[in-house]
Amino acid sequence: MKVEKISRSPIAELKRHVDVIQEAFKQALIPDRVTVEYPRERRIYPDNLRGFIVLDRSKCISCFRCAQICPANAIQMSLYDNFYPGVDYTKCIFCHFCVDSCPTGALASSNLHDMAFRSLEEMKVKATQMTRLPTIVREDKQSVEYFVTKKDWKLQRKKELEDISVLRIIPRIKPRRAFCEEPESCLGCRQCMEVCPHDAIVMERCEITLGGEVIGKGCILKVTEKCVGCGLCVRQCPMQILALKEVE
Amino acid sequence: MQEWQFVMPEKKHKKKFFGNLKAEVIDAKLCCHCAACSAICPVYGITAGDKPIEFPNWVKDCVDCGACVKVCPRWEYKPLNGVGNYVEVISAKSKRFKGQDGAMVTEITATALEMGLIEKAIFVSRDEDWRTKIVTIRDVSQLYDRKVTGTKYCYADSIPALKEAILSSKAVGFVGTPCMVSAVRKMQNSFKKFERVKLVIGLFCTENFYHHQLSEFLLKHKNVDLMKATKTDIKKGKFIVRFVDGSRVSFPVKELEEIIPSGCKVCQDFSAVESDVSVGSVGSESGFSTVLVRTEIAKAIVDKIRERGTAEIKEPDMGAVQKLCDYKIKIHPYPPKKKEEKKEEKS
Ligand SMILES: Cc1cc2nc3c(=O)[nH]c(=O)nc-3n(C[C@H](O)[C@H](O)[C@H](O)COP(=O)(O)OP(=O)(O)OC[C@H]3O[C@@H](n4cnc5c(N)ncnc54)[C@H](O)[C@@H]3O)c2cc1C
Repeated sequence: MKVEKISRSPIAELKRHVDVIQEAFKQALIPDRVTVEYPRERRIYPDNLRGFIVLDRSKCISCFRCAQICPANAIQMSLYDNFYPGVDYTKCIFCHFCVDSCPTGALASSNLHDMAFRSLEEMKVKATQMTRLPTIVREDKQSVEYFVTKKDWKLQRKKELEDISVLRIIPRIKPRRAFCEEPESCLGCRQCMEVCPHDAIVMERCEITLGGEVIGKGCILKVTEKCVGCGLCVRQCPMQILALKEVE
Repeated sequence: MQEWQFVMPEKKHKKKFFGNLKAEVIDAKLCCHCAACSAICPVYGITAGDKPIEFPNWVKDCVDCGACVKVCPRWEYKPLNGVGNYVEVISAKSKRFKGQDGAMVTEITATALEMGLIEKAIFVSRDEDWRTKIVTIRDVSQLYDRKVTGTKYCYADSIPALKEAILSSKAVGFVGTPCMVSAVRKMQNSFKKFERVKLVIGLFCTENFYHHQLSEFLLKHKNVDLMKATKTDIKKGKFIVRFVDGSRVSFPVKELEEIIPSGCKVCQDFSAVESDVSVGSVGSESGFSTVLVRTEIAKAIVDKIRERGTAEIKEPDMGAVQKLCDYKIKIHPYPPKKKEEKKEEKS
């Protein structure tokens, strides 16, 4: 298509000016812009949008799962009274694998999505800073929400503000415990015992009997009540005979 | 609370289990290099490959579980020998595949895959220099590769690959020399998960070699560069190497005596008596394989092959097989004849 030459006649010029003034009046009275005027406005996101990660230290069992699963290598375990995770937001890609893999629900998402840091150093958030939401300075005066239907999409501006003090979106976790699915394939290597952070798997020596007769020496492995279901042993087992099972 | 038991084998020396294995099997020159110990070791400390089995730093790193001892076919070694039990024996040649002899190993594997009896099979392929390379066969189409079929006269780490395969699959096929077959049976007796090995094909075998020793021998004494070889074979006491240009070099296997590994020299199992089906060249004319069918699953496969007509079938010469079985007992006496001081056996 060829671009037509703009007419420079006074009438055309005048018409264009009128158009602009008309649009300006329209926008001043009933605006229909779609841009979110952040930070004066804040967009409302769906509940499940992944946000700032918070930690409940009382639930954390120091199993290191989050640190091991993190594809961005953004989680650093640091020693306090025990090991707790800290998130480096220079690396975090907000996949929340850490939250999903946490066996006890110690890690959770929050609905804080816009974080600002003053320096790169500050972006390395420590475990102690993850137990509550950071201080929020709110400048927003109204919230914005998009509605998309098959035909068109609309923007709705509301005067009321969204509450971002809702701390944690608590994942639903059922307590689980390690369980040996095929004891007949146990190598007796005790790697499960070695890796267990809670000494929940114990071993005793015993005699092995077959039909009432002693056929040799062996050991008994026990998964005790101490098991918190972190699943580290499941991953360690070279024969892959351990699994996590839900307990009532 | 859940609890379960496991057996600890009896130790012969006051050392960790690998120390026991080293003293009783490796240092005692009985090791057949089947690599079962390397496969089962929970800390992956035992190394195989093209060198004698070892566990660097075992004094520290061995977790003393005894799994290696449980699966070793040479621990408390009692040689197996003879033709063994079989329900049927045929001499056959596959119409689809090209292999070492009649490509019956390949035909049996392909049929088992097609019948859905196994999901995958562990085969031994090779690189340009005839170093063994493990391949997992998931589809019959992979079996048309001439590098995948055919005999490589070098140790292969098939059992470590087999262990990985059973972790991810419920029905696996395996091909190996008699010592490897025995190792797989020991693994099945000790650890239930190995019941997933549904088909064990044994190869007739008199001896095997380390790749570096064989290739060095061929280069130094016979001026043979394996890079140019298209086939290696042992027939009628001769080691034969064929080349791309059609030429061949052949010499008596006896000349290889000095590089025959000590573990092979105590082995009397020619026909892989513990297999589901054993395949070899002895007992068949050129281009055919002798197939000793020992168990039900193998019988079902061979019946299927017959029904479909995917192989040409003839009568084998069982006299020749029997002769080789007897011969192996003769040349590999156990305990070895010319021995040094007999070791005191005190526990
Ligand atoms: C070390 C060795 C020594 C042998 N010695 C004799 C002998 O003395 N007398 C005799 O009659 N037969 C012997 N055989 C068997 C023979 O060479 C053929 O493998 C057999 O006849 C099967 O032939 P095919 O054409 O049916 O097999 P193919 O269909 O060609 O299949 C060959 C199979 O052997 C496997 N294989 C090849 N190399 C190895 C290896 N190094 N370790 C484990 N698996 C391997 C391949 O994965 C393949 O599955 C020996 C085999 C080996 C591996």
